Amino acid sequence: MMKSIDAFSQFHPINNFLYYFLVIGISIFVRNPIISVISLITAFLYYVRLKKEKAVFFGLFYMLPVMLLAAILNPVFNHEGMHILFYLPSGNPMTLEALIYGLASAVMMVSVIVWFAGFTEIITSDKFIYLFGRIIPALSLVLSIALRFVPRYISKYKEIRESRKLAGEKGNIFTELSVMVTWALENSIDTADSMKARGYGQEKRTAYSIYTYGQRDRLLTFWLLFCTFVMFTSLSTDMFYFRFYPTVKYTGFTPLTVFGLFVFMALCLTPVIIDKLYDKD
Amino acid sequence: MKKNSKTAKIIVSVAVVLITAMLLVFFVLRLNRRSSLLENEGQYTCTISIMCDTILNNMDKLDPEKKEIVPEGGVMLAAESVGFNEGETVFDVLYKTARKHKLHFEFTDSTIYDSPYIEGIGNLYEFDCGELSGWMYCVNKYYPNYGMGEYKLKDGDVIEIVYTCDLGADVGNSYQGDE
Repeated sequence: MMKSIDAFSQFHPINNFLYYFLVIGISIFVRNPIISVISLITAFLYYVRLKKEKAVFFGLFYMLPVMLLAAILNPVFNHEGMHILFYLPSGNPMTLEALIYGLASAVMMVSVIVWFAGFTEIITSDKFIYLFGRIIPALSLVLSIALRFVPRYISKYKEIRESRKLAGEKGNIFTELSVMVTWALENSIDTADSMKARGYGQEKRTAYSIYTYGQRDRLLTFWLLFCTFVMFTSLSTDMFYFRFYPTVKYTGFTPLTVFGLFVFMALCLTPVIIDKLYDKD
Repeated sequence: MKKNSKTAKIIVSVAVVLITAMLLVFFVLRLNRRSSLLENEGQYTCTISIMCDTILNNMDKLDPEKKEIVPEGGVMLAAESVGFNEGETVFDVLYKTARKHKLHFEFTDSTIYDSPYIEGIGNLYEFDCGELSGWMYCVNKYYPNYGMGEYKLKDGDVIEIVYTCDLGADVGNSYQGDE
């Protein structure tokens, strides 16, 4: 039985999924730097709460370089924009607008990565199956098996590497990979046998679910739906429309927009707030 | 077994270094040609102008965000004389002129085609004014229909870079189809 990570993960999976669906969806489709920055900061805040020190390491050594690289790469290939900073060796100009767009895209990209990292922590394979088992039973089974593979294979590889070292063998990536693949193939046969023995593929299989939907879940769903409504109306009125080319322009700072931004920030911070409220119980 | 993997590693790293070096040399040679363009004064002269007045007749098709950058009367660059040397092309002259005036332009220089392709000048890009819009050029009122990088100039040539909103029909050169 898995120990629950935090208060937010104890809520009903539908709430967890709705939350991530909203947050990731908005982060990807709303090309507004303010939204992207809010998304990145809140994503990282929650990820630190989940993974503690490992999150900081992850952010500093993986996300930051990736972000800088992506930001620099855009103006190297994209040369639109009114403010020419200097000319690249290729002859095309490097523009301020392309740089800004690169930065905004990089922030968005990294925020989505961090959101997905948190997603895999909260929405575990059994929650995923519970949610999608009836709608897409075959696909959700395949997905849940596949999702397990990455961490499992990584730890198996480490195990193989360490045992070879202890046995005196020199580290050889190809041999180690080959051992891992052999193990994976054998393991999948074992899994298939076990599944067959437990009745998979018989169609009459029932699944026991331990997820209850209580009063707290009702409140959370109501809050999430409220956020959906606010964001939906904001987006349909193009409040967050931000222009990058030919020059950077944003005319949206009205009270309504600020309200929309605050709602988005509150939405993103929901798990952090919930953890603060309920983790003491 | 161990010796084989060592030689394999050496071979792979040498190959990577060689390929990178070849690519670098190739690009540096090409870049040298571009930068030397800006220094030379030029033995001959030609006239160049950049016009986008066809946009003024198609404001409804224009990307609304670009309305504010359409120049007065559609004149992005009024006709002016530019010096050039033997063997230089229309593209070279455009490149020199745009750099001199700090006029924005973007081109792609893929090695597949023989000539650079102009995507935008002054932040007006192809398809900004409908799907049939883009930049074209003519020399002495003749539309060569091949890339600027291939037309070698002669003394006294008059280059006109024009923005079309109709695949050339509105500037005097309808699309002839694939010949």
